[in-house]
Amino acid sequence: MRLRLFTFVILLAAAQTVAAQALDISSGGQPTITGAVGGSVTGSANVQNDLVVTINFGEVSPLNTNAVVKVVVPIALRSNQPYQVAVTASAISNANTQALQSSDVGFGLQNLDLLGGAGKVCNQSTHIIRSPFNNDPANTATVGTNGRVSYASSLANISGSTVILSGPELSKNNSAKRQNSDGYSFDAIFVLTPQFFAAGVSSATLVFTISPGPNVPC
Amino acid sequence: MPRFSRSALLTLLLAVSAVTCFGQSTTGTVSMSATVSKFVEINSGGAVTLTGNSGGGVITDGITNSPLAVSINLGELGPSNTNPFVTALVPLKLRSNAAYVLSMTATVTSSGTTTNRIGAADVGFGLGTINRTGVGVNAGADTNATSGDPTLAANGSVNATSGRYEFTAVRSSLSSFSAATTALSGPFIMNAVPRSNANGLTVPAFFAVKPQFFENGTTTISVTFTVTAP
Repeated sequence: MRLRLFTFVILLAAAQTVAAQALDISSGGQPTITGAVGGSVTGSANVQNDLVVTINFGEVSPLNTNAVVKVVVPIALRSNQPYQVAVTASAISNANTQALQSSDVGFGLQNLDLLGGAGKVCNQSTHIIRSPFNNDPANTATVGTNGRVSYASSLANISGSTVILSGPELSKNNSAKRQNSDGYSFDAIFVLTPQFFAAGVSSATLVFTISPGPNVPC
Repeated sequence: MPRFSRSALLTLLLAVSAVTCFGQSTTGTVSMSATVSKFVEINSGGAVTLTGNSGGGVITDGITNSPLAVSINLGELGPSNTNPFVTALVPLKLRSNAAYVLSMTATVTSSGTTTNRIGAADVGFGLGTINRTGVGVNAGADTNATSGDPTLAANGSVNATSGRYEFTAVRSSLSSFSAATTALSGPFIMNAVPRSNANGLTVPAFFAVKPQFFENGTTTISVTFTVTAP
C-alpha cells in the first residue's frame, strides 16, 4: 500500500514536470545596444538562463546626436504544444505631453528562428508575429506632421496583456531542463530617437509571458 | 517498504521538483529607463545685414544653423560717414527643451586715449522681433530685456549738454553688458522633435553706431552670447 502511494506521488510529480516544461521563455542570447550616450544593457548571453534584462537608454535629449538608440534583446522560447507570447508593460507616466511617452519607444519583433537542431519544424502551421509588431522600429521611424517621431509599433500598442507572437510547438524533446538548441528565438527590438523631450527620467517594465496558444497543427 | 527506499524516493521526488522549478519559466522581464537632460543651443540664424557703412563689410558671415561666429568691419565711424547709423543685424537661432535665458557680455576696446574715443555706450544694441514659427516649435511668450532696435528715435537721442549721441533706453547699448546680463528669456522652445528638425526661435540682434566726431583710432567690439537653462 505504501509503495503504491509513493509510486502515485512520483507519477504526479512527473506529470507536473512534463506540464511545466511544456512552455518556457528564457534569454535568447546577449542583448546589444547601439547609438547610446551613457546607456547600457545587461542580460545573460546564456540561453539557459532566465530572461532578465535591464536597459538604460542613456541620454535621449539632443545631447545625443545619434539618429536612434537601438536595443536588441534576443528571447528564447520552448514548448511541446502550441503557444503564444504576450507582453504587458507598465505605462510611462509623464503628464507633460512633451516628455517621453510610451509611443516614443519603438517596439517590434524580428528574426524568429530555430535555436538549433532540437527546435521543431512544423509544416502545417507558421509562427505568426502579431500585427503591428512585425517590424524593426529603426527602419519604420517616421516624422509626423507635428514633427515628432513615430514608429510602426511602439510600447503604446501594448494594452493590458497583448499577444505578440503565436504558433505551433517549438521543441522536439520534452526535456525538463533547458537546452541550447531545443526551441526558437526572436529579437525584441526597442528604439528611441533622441528628441527635444522635456527633461526628466522615465522608466517602464515589460513582462513577457508564454502560455498555451491557439490549437494549430504542427 | 524499507525506510531506505522511501527516503530514496522522496529524494528523487524533491530532485524532480527542483529541476522543474529552476529549469523552466513562463515569464521574463525587460526593465528600461531613459534620461532627458536640459538642452539649449544657440546658432546662427542666417546672414548678417550691414547697412549705413562706409567701407568695411562682413568678414565672416553667419550660416544658418551653424555655430555663431560672425566677424564684421563696421567701416568708417567718423563724420566722413554721413549715414545716420551704421547698423549690423545678426540673426540668432535658439533651441531648447527647457526654459532658457540668453545673456550677453560685451567688451569694447579703442586705441583712443580720451573720453571722445568710442566706448561701450556708443554701441547701440537690442534684440528685434522674436519669431517662434515652424513645425515643432512651441508657441511660448518670450521676454525681451532689451529695448529693441537701438536706432529707433525712442531709444536714443543727442545729449543736450554734451552733444554726444546716447542710447538712452533700457539695455540699449553695450554699456549694460559689461558683465553677463540677460537679454532674452522664455519658456521651452522646441516640442518633442528630433534635432534634425531645423526650426527654432529666431531673433535679430542689432548693433548700431552713430558716426560722430570720435577720437580717431581703431575700435574692437567683442560680444559673447550665452544661452542657459536655469
